[in-house]
Amino acid sequence: MSAVASSPRAPRIAVRHEIILAAILIVALIGLGFANDRFLTLDNLLNQGRLMTEIGLIALPMTFVIITGGIDVSVGAIVGLCAIALGYSWKNLGFPLPLAIVFSLGVGAAAGFANGFVITRIKVPAIITTIATLTLFRGLAEGISQAHSVRGYPEWFYFLGQGDVFGVPTQLLILLIAIVAFGVALDRTSFGRTLYAIGSNETAARFSALPVDRVKLAAYTLSGLTSGLSAFVLVSRVTTTRSDMGMGYELDAIAAVVLGGTSIFGGSGTIWGTVIGLVMIQLLKNGLALTGVKGDATIMVIGIVLIASVLIASSLQRRRE
Amino acid sequence: MRSYLLTTAAAAAFALAMNTGAFAAGWDGADDLPTSPLACDASAPAAPAAAKPYDGGKAINAPDKAGKEITLVDVPKLIGIGYFNATSKGIADAAKEIGNVKVTTDGPTEAKIDEQIKFIDNYITRGVDGVLFAANDPVAIAPVLKKALSKGIHVVGYDANSTPDAREWFINQAEFNGIAKAMIDSLAKESGEDAAFGIVTSTFTTPNQARWIAEMQAYAAKCHPKLQWLETVEAQEDNVLSFNQATTLINKYGDKLKGLFGMTSVATPASAEAVTKAKLCGKVAVIGLATPNAMKPYVNADCVKSVVLWNPIDLGYAATYVMRAIVDGKLKPGATSVDAGKLGKLNVVNGSEILLGSPFIFNKSNINGFDF
Amino acid sequence: MSAIALPRSPAARGSLWRRVSSQETLLAVAIVGLAVFVGLTNPRFLAANNLADILLGNAYIAVAAIGMSMVIITGNIDISVGALIGVLATVSGSLAVAGAPIVVTWLAPLVIGVAVMGLQGVIVAYLGIPAIVVTLGMLSILRGGLISVTGGKWITDLPDAFHLADIEIFGVIPMPVAIMVGATILAAAWMRWWPQGRAIYATGGNAEAARLSGVSPRHTLVLVFVLHGFFAGVAALLFATQLRVIQSTTPSGLEFTIITASVVGGVSILGGVGTVVGSTLAAILIAEITSALVFINVSPFWTHALQGALILATVIADIERRRRRLAGDVR
Repeated sequence: MSAVASSPRAPRIAVRHEIILAAILIVALIGLGFANDRFLTLDNLLNQGRLMTEIGLIALPMTFVIITGGIDVSVGAIVGLCAIALGYSWKNLGFPLPLAIVFSLGVGAAAGFANGFVITRIKVPAIITTIATLTLFRGLAEGISQAHSVRGYPEWFYFLGQGDVFGVPTQLLILLIAIVAFGVALDRTSFGRTLYAIGSNETAARFSALPVDRVKLAAYTLSGLTSGLSAFVLVSRVTTTRSDMGMGYELDAIAAVVLGGTSIFGGSGTIWGTVIGLVMIQLLKNGLALTGVKGDATIMVIGIVLIASVLIASSLQRRRE
Repeated sequence: MRSYLLTTAAAAAFALAMNTGAFAAGWDGADDLPTSPLACDASAPAAPAAAKPYDGGKAINAPDKAGKEITLVDVPKLIGIGYFNATSKGIADAAKEIGNVKVTTDGPTEAKIDEQIKFIDNYITRGVDGVLFAANDPVAIAPVLKKALSKGIHVVGYDANSTPDAREWFINQAEFNGIAKAMIDSLAKESGEDAAFGIVTSTFTTPNQARWIAEMQAYAAKCHPKLQWLETVEAQEDNVLSFNQATTLINKYGDKLKGLFGMTSVATPASAEAVTKAKLCGKVAVIGLATPNAMKPYVNADCVKSVVLWNPIDLGYAATYVMRAIVDGKLKPGATSVDAGKLGKLNVVNGSEILLGSPFIFNKSNINGFDF
Repeated sequence: MSAIALPRSPAARGSLWRRVSSQETLLAVAIVGLAVFVGLTNPRFLAANNLADILLGNAYIAVAAIGMSMVIITGNIDISVGALIGVLATVSGSLAVAGAPIVVTWLAPLVIGVAVMGLQGVIVAYLGIPAIVVTLGMLSILRGGLISVTGGKWITDLPDAFHLADIEIFGVIPMPVAIMVGATILAAAWMRWWPQGRAIYATGGNAEAARLSGVSPRHTLVLVFVLHGFFAGVAALLFATQLRVIQSTTPSGLEFTIITASVVGGVSILGGVGTVVGSTLAAILIAEITSALVFINVSPFWTHALQGALILATVIADIERRRRRLAGDVR
């Protein structure tokens, strides 16, 4: 019996979870919109779209990784490393800026590949590998940068992070394109089906002659690559590089993925769910802040929302079974 | 087993290769901007550099709220440390005194620039009349501050500056070179002209700390050339880590170490604790920037002779008064001084900076009179 | 009497070579080897007070790693422990400043730690929510809550009697070291010779087999989280009573340090393997490496990169060793 013919488990339960989540999101949006008249303005929503791109880009391949039953907590450190690589290769190595950008994306992909290699070839569990590489990559960023920031980029460089295209923030467009690309890859390609198969039952997937290791390696490499892209957006937005960039991004991305209904045990989850999770966290933080709730209380609310949503979704799933 | 030994050997080789020795040209932790050490003699007050033209930014089409109530937000580097609790108190005190100012303090729980930017951005959307800030990174914070200015929101910084064109005015607690002079002079006085010392700082990328260390190096080279810098260690803003790092320095250098500089309000009490635990009070001087409350036990026990700071409550207090003066039209580009309530007239230096005054030295005779 | 016996913990089995090449032995060798290596460069590293300082300053990490190891052995993980330690330390200090009896200030973190972790354990075991999700949410709740309640105000006027970490047993052994060693020995013994302790390995290694042999994975899981909370409370106590000031914030990155100690100590997230002796030795080794890097003048810009590389090397070596053992290659 083939594990690949139909995407296992994905459609029915996931749709259910996402619908619930979308419903909660809409209720929250309406509530916050009433509480504050600046929240539901186009200006604010587009701005939030701009600000959530960095995490959003990382959350997309994170979905892939978690669907295979793995995890990657080194993404934040890769962002820092790529940011430093961008600045360093431009300023110290003298690369022309476009080449420096491509170089930093390459560094991200290489870092992701290294993660994937250790996980698939040497078979160190993903959480352990990425905790170790988290320190390593962050350390490399600190060592290479020697605490120097690189600033003073030409005007065109800031277009990605601070510019607009027909009124829509540039990076938000990139994020939207990425969402579609990742969503299609997951839903309609054999790559996506293999991801689900690996997460459901890796041994069975191997016995079905699926390219398990190659797909996993690709997922982690993709994770590193998008971290590099996220770094590019970030540097463009804040006009400087720092070795501590990206700290904490991994937890934000994982929260968005998990909130969106992807099971941490692997085998189920969708990009659309991740997007709803991402939007929910971003707009909640923003809406609460606009309503006058201070930072510390907002952090608590996000934690409660995370646990509560997963509890609700899980109990509803159980009732279906 | 083999691979383990191999990788450990490789790591060890790497470690030795990375050995830069403690005798590099610059002290670790210093930035590479130009320095301007003060004169060596005892009485050299920081004279205001009057001639530099105004280089601050401008709020565009700011609504005229002269004499009316304004709402401000204060976004420090992070909330939850004694130093910024004190500046917030000063800001709130001034608001209450002035009467028609409402101010909220809100900020990230860790010193991360990305978080700080998002806080400021939300308040811009909410629509405040003014933003007070202490920046985690001078360049990274500039875009969001310029956005505030473009929406007619006034921007005033304190404690940690941004690039000048991103804010209208900046309250400088004390000149970097003034602090450097106070710190180095204190060490030389307490431990002798040829003392060897270590530095405990937050991170090498924190701008203020990097500036101070650079100025300290320049001043020491000029006026106390026999002082010997040994090492700088990082300890984030973490108490226990600062303690462990200071202890490591004490153990590493033994009798050679005569002084420790604490560059943050977390590092200094932790270093004092390390010296106390090692029973080296009086043998190893601890000099640093810290709030009085955290240092009282050590100063009262004669373990620490002097604590250098300025009054952060006054710093916050001045920031609010300056903001009010801007809104009321009383402080315009080109001014040479501003009225700051009970602090009197404060001078303008460096074009768009307002100087709080000289560093303040807390010691046994006065520390018990403060509560922050 | 069931025909299926509970698996004996790995360290009890086997040949001399297996004992010698176990992760614990390797760690012990690394600790001594590193000390000798650094001592050659700077003899002050080997001074008694320096070695003591390394142990004292980091004992709390080893104690917290005991509980974390148990959690990881059952196949779960907890990323809220750092925030919890911050909260418990603040609670303890606040009680002390408010004049509560010292015994109460010492017991409070233990009780609250057990309660908070126990709650998470129940959610994980009985509601089926993955541990990483629950603890991720709890991390936010604790961090935000701590700042909300305390405003980040430091606790400075602690009474002298509060400082548990300053007490010396028989006038010689400092309390943190005594607690670290004692807790490790007790926990290790419990996990090896008591059925409930061995059940932890069973739950992690193969939950179905565990259930078949009469062990309730759910009860065991909750018990593990409760113990984890207890050890977190003890760690918080050591953390709070060391210095004269308590920063009312959550120490950043603490949970990753604790997890790293467990993992380097040989505990596997795949479940079923590892000992608390290993995690304690690993915590000591990590603390020693941090100090050693300062002593041998490694550029401070590269210390984290080196630490990361060493951790990676250690876990790779551990997996290789395990793989070779499973393949029967006992060279």
